[in-house]
Amino acid sequence: MEASDSGITNPDSKDTLTSSYPKPSAAASPAYSSSSLSTAAAFIRAIESGSKHLLIKRFTFRYPEQKLKFVGDGYQFDPKRGVGIAGYRGRHILYHDKCTGCQLCSIACEGIAEAIGMVKVDEKWDQNKKSIMPQIDYGKCVFCGLCVDACPFYALSMTNDYELSAFTKEHLIYTPAQLAIKPKYEGDVVLQVEDWKGSEGQDVTTTEGAKKGIRRGIKGASHGHV
Amino acid sequence: MTTIEDKIEESKKLGMQIVKESEDDRLMTLSVGPQHPGSGHFRFVIKVDGDYIVYCDPDPGYVHRGDEKMCEYRNVIQNIPHLERPVIHDSNNITYSYSLAVEELVGIEVPRRGQFIRAIASELNRQVYTLYWLAIYGIFLGHSTMFMWPAGDRELFIDLLEALTGARVTHAFNIPGGVRNDIPEGFKDRCLRNVGYFEKRLKEYEDIFYNNPLFRQRTEGVGILQKEDAIKLGVTGSVLRASGVPYDIRKVEPYDVYNEIDFNVQYMRTGDSFARSYVPFLDMKESCHIIRQLLDKMPKSGEVRAKLQPNPKGPPNEAYRRVESGRGALGYYVVSDGTPKPYRVKISVGSFRNILALPFLLVGSRMADMPSIYWSLNYWPVEADR
Repeated sequence: MEASDSGITNPDSKDTLTSSYPKPSAAASPAYSSSSLSTAAAFIRAIESGSKHLLIKRFTFRYPEQKLKFVGDGYQFDPKRGVGIAGYRGRHILYHDKCTGCQLCSIACEGIAEAIGMVKVDEKWDQNKKSIMPQIDYGKCVFCGLCVDACPFYALSMTNDYELSAFTKEHLIYTPAQLAIKPKYEGDVVLQVEDWKGSEGQDVTTTEGAKKGIRRGIKGASHGHV
Repeated sequence: MTTIEDKIEESKKLGMQIVKESEDDRLMTLSVGPQHPGSGHFRFVIKVDGDYIVYCDPDPGYVHRGDEKMCEYRNVIQNIPHLERPVIHDSNNITYSYSLAVEELVGIEVPRRGQFIRAIASELNRQVYTLYWLAIYGIFLGHSTMFMWPAGDRELFIDLLEALTGARVTHAFNIPGGVRNDIPEGFKDRCLRNVGYFEKRLKEYEDIFYNNPLFRQRTEGVGILQKEDAIKLGVTGSVLRASGVPYDIRKVEPYDVYNEIDFNVQYMRTGDSFARSYVPFLDMKESCHIIRQLLDKMPKSGEVRAKLQPNPKGPPNEAYRRVESGRGALGYYVVSDGTPKPYRVKISVGSFRNILALPFLLVGSRMADMPSIYWSLNYWPVEADR
């Protein structure tokens, strides 16, 4: 498509603002309506561009057997430097040996989701005289991670676990003991476009894929449909 | 010879009543929406005379949630998660201008690397939004492939944003003072790959959708918005640029690092539905170009977030800052009375401005052109209702 046909103009040219508006009839004259041959060509091109995808490996993978691999171990926060560490914001993990029961996470959640409540625990810790620790209601949590930003003692961070379904609402409330468990999450699939140059300039096209005419693929994903 | 009056008299004697057809009986009143996906969560009442629409009354407000009032009861940080709810597909842009306004009120400077990262995040999020909109536009014009393709390619950018921010859709990433975390390892490489792949896909989009004669026939010359009318109605974003006004906040009022970026404002002159759908497509192309430049020019190391108190507050003052979102100018007017909670927050959104053009364009057009005009306005009902 020519730039002048569709009315796309060079934004740097000064005449665009002052020039008169083109007639609607001029606008409604696609290049194809003039001849039936080019209309047919455009149809064929449209069908061709869609049908060649029948032969290409898809971006989907088989979810419960295969899982996405995340960056890092989940979102964390470094109170000394005052910035977070990139990671997926899934369910929380609470380190009982660091939590002081200061309630700052609970205060941070006020007005956002009000999902954190402080509960009494049976454990005795030197730093936690009141023996209170956060309990999180995942029926309310919005996974913004601002409670992690509020914790000054590295006691609360987030994990890659996102499979939190439960049969009742009560089961969505995680007690401090449940929050202390490190989730078993093993992701293996890396969704990555393989056929384009990386930042260093080297071509990362897989030779095998190029031979077969495969133009894209997913590292680690199975070949569900080829 | 019996006339109609005689028949009416006769029917009255028999206890029945025949009513004469009046002028209004020609017209049929239809309610489009608010729950059928033909309009999103938004209703507009139209009257049709045969196949032609003769009257249109947009009725926004179905999903009004009182976001502006909610802001007055929370401090500036706590406002972020609920402020991105009106348009979760563009959540980095809707919190961007809020952060800019609060930074002006509190008087903090964002580190340079932080400015670059949030510009990258907002450009990636613009792609996510535009692809989502394009998928809806495709399916409502009966092109199922154009629903599947953008919805699938959107995952590329969602994966990038997930690695960067930690959440797939509601990022809560921009914060007054910068961004919440630095970019992860290998992000630049992954970003360049996905953007490069996406640029190749855009050529296929053009073949299957924009150069498709069926799509062209349904959109070209439909719902033409003249340049003068567009300015008078006050539409913004792609709707304004499709009518021949090269107006982009990134160019007109450059915020953060956009004055260092070399890009062109994409616009067309025809002002029809095709132009309104093609300008976001051109924007996506230009966004890929911007993302590459931002990744190149970003400082290799440095702070990403300015040190800030937990409850930041400034002197009593007011600030208005705006950014270019996926739907046009998105501005925040924040008034502070010296306490940590804002006194007033006003959100000025592009969607609400663009819907003003709807009765203007629909009246006189055919019923079958209704989806092609309505969805080309880049309207997001939840954002307009706030």
